[in-house]
Amino acid sequence: MNKVWAVIRREFVERVRTKWFLISTILGPIFMIVVTVLPAVLAGTGGGARHIGLLDEGSGSLATRLVTQLETGSQFRVERVTTSESGARAAMQELTERVQSKNIDGFLVVPGAALESGKFEYRGRNVSSIRDNALLQAAVRQAVMMERLTQRGVDPGVVQESQARISVTTLRITKRGATGETGEATFFLAYVVGFIMYMAIFLYSVNVMRSVLEEKQTRIIEVLVSSLRPFQLLLGKVVGVGGVGLVQMGVWGVAAAALIRYRAAVFAMFKVPAEQAAAIQLPAIGTGMVVLVLVYFLLGYLLYSAMFAVVGAVVSTDTEAQQAQMPVVMLLIPGILVFPAVLNDPAGSLSSVMGLVPFWSPIIMPIRFAASDVPAGELAASLAILAVTVIGVVWVAARIYRVGILMYGKRPGIGELVRWARQS
Amino acid sequence: MTSEPIVQIDGITKRFGDFAAVSGLSLSVPRGAVYGLLGPNGAGKTTTIRMLMDIILPDEGSVRLFGDERGGRQHSAEIGYLPEERGLYRKMRVRDTLVFLAETKGVKREVARRKADEWLMRLDLSEWRMKKVEELSKGMQQKVQFIATMLHEPALLILDEPFAGLDPINTQAIKDVIVHLSRAGTTIVFSTHQMDVAERICDHVCIIAAGRKVLDGPLAEVKRVHGGTHVAVAFEGGREFAAPIISDRTLVAKADDYGGYAELALADGVEPQMLLERLVAAAARLQRFEHIEPSLNRIFLDKVGAAGAEPRGREASRE
Repeated sequence: MNKVWAVIRREFVERVRTKWFLISTILGPIFMIVVTVLPAVLAGTGGGARHIGLLDEGSGSLATRLVTQLETGSQFRVERVTTSESGARAAMQELTERVQSKNIDGFLVVPGAALESGKFEYRGRNVSSIRDNALLQAAVRQAVMMERLTQRGVDPGVVQESQARISVTTLRITKRGATGETGEATFFLAYVVGFIMYMAIFLYSVNVMRSVLEEKQTRIIEVLVSSLRPFQLLLGKVVGVGGVGLVQMGVWGVAAAALIRYRAAVFAMFKVPAEQAAAIQLPAIGTGMVVLVLVYFLLGYLLYSAMFAVVGAVVSTDTEAQQAQMPVVMLLIPGILVFPAVLNDPAGSLSSVMGLVPFWSPIIMPIRFAASDVPAGELAASLAILAVTVIGVVWVAARIYRVGILMYGKRPGIGELVRWARQS
Repeated sequence: MTSEPIVQIDGITKRFGDFAAVSGLSLSVPRGAVYGLLGPNGAGKTTTIRMLMDIILPDEGSVRLFGDERGGRQHSAEIGYLPEERGLYRKMRVRDTLVFLAETKGVKREVARRKADEWLMRLDLSEWRMKKVEELSKGMQQKVQFIATMLHEPALLILDEPFAGLDPINTQAIKDVIVHLSRAGTTIVFSTHQMDVAERICDHVCIIAAGRKVLDGPLAEVKRVHGGTHVAVAFEGGREFAAPIISDRTLVAKADDYGGYAELALADGVEPQMLLERLVAAAARLQRFEHIEPSLNRIFLDKVGAAGAEPRGREASRE
């Protein structure tokens, strides 16, 4: 047991010491902060300061209404330039020059017959901002609509009423009742969880493969198996590398929890206004979620690290490993491909079936759990199938590993692998 | 207990597919011996050593180490093993590597650390102990690996081609350590195909070829049993006067010309004196004329022959 412990410690310490580990561990929380804070910061800086001109070619009261409409919401600062039909060219030229000299961001051309034709033109330096364009269009559409209604004699009070903001908030309902989480936050959480599961299982399993291959390539394996049984070595390796994964996920988990808990302070640090910070939805992560993610990570990691260990054991070079790992990678890929479908309908039949297949359940089930209620029976079945598969795959993998680590030269075919697995 | 051999192999056979790498091999290594396992490339030396180490299992026969059949891994704390193919973790620090490998042999961490420092100092590697293995020269890496082989003070050292690829300075350094350990009572088994090295270090030998034992025993006895009368001759100037005499099969059974001198196996019933008389009569200018024991190389060539030195197909390259 002390020998296995020595292997575990070596795998753990050597990995934690690498720059790769340090960087990825630190980058995780930074990434989380950026993802949460950045939209708020951008909304705070980019929006209010757009300074535009409004070239009024004799549209009269519509122009007045447009200015009012654009300036409510403080997204635009509007400078109205009134011109006659004949002076339009010169005025446009002047505004264009002001855009070029960055005096203003752009200008809206309002032709005299705009109310009837409904045709406007915006000319500006940056016309690719989807958000700005949407705001501009909405304001223009609303101003035209109100002006048309008013001119047809609709009661100004009614017009005012029709302008009231409309919003639809989606809330998630679980067995415990409405959660107060919005659909967006749930979607975000489910997406992130699925992605992290995939990355963590893949990266750490591949690490096991590299470790197996390294011992084979450096030939130190022969010294090791003269002191340890191959299974002890494989066990130590898988536990050591998995430990690194758990530590990393732990750091990320703590960082995420801290971010949710102290978000007010974090937002204040980046000078995000309070009302904007409040508008940002952060998902609530329960204990059940954490436990589920850990259990599926461990089982999924065991499953894939065993398969990747076989790949490492049967090849002799990095290039061979690249090719030989393809079947295992292909096995994992469908779990990613169905991502959108599962997110769309986490309780649907596709999601249910995918959640039972052991090669995909470690990715699919946490997504489903984050996005919907998973029936307890399905969860138990999924875990049971996964656990049984892990035991079977580890058993076969250990037997192939035992033979493969001492074989060099031609890569064995499937038939030979079966023979190795059967060999006593 | 002391009279019991430390290694006892009985009739082991190992096949890879249809190919028998080792067949029916038996040998025993007395405690305290320096035992040479000799054979041409592909003879089955490495396969034999791997079975000894419990890395692969024999298809037939048994291996007893330290008087029991529990296998090399159970005795790993008492065995130091240097495989033919060398290698260490490239990115790991030198001392960490030594401590880790000692720990897999069951040595306590603190003890391993202290011993690693001692050995690194002894082999002039102290300043490298915190460096990564890949930063060391090849010779230094070989020394580190050698330290790893014996850090846990094994009673039995098993070295597969320990001198292959070493420069003369490192060869000397490692030979010194082997002699030192042997004097201290360590039993040493090593394989080589370099007969001159074996002749200088071993007190027991076993020659194998094509997976079978050709002969074994204490070196002196092997030489005595091999029989025949052997003479080393060297000439001043040309040897044209001597050539007809040396090629006379009634006098000389076999001749090995090593360039500097020739080793002659005399025909049955021929005394060295008779040869000397003939040479003098033929006016050959002798520089050296010596009655010698047969060299290990001569014995090896006689016993193994050209056929045994042929590589035996694909599997032979596994060695």
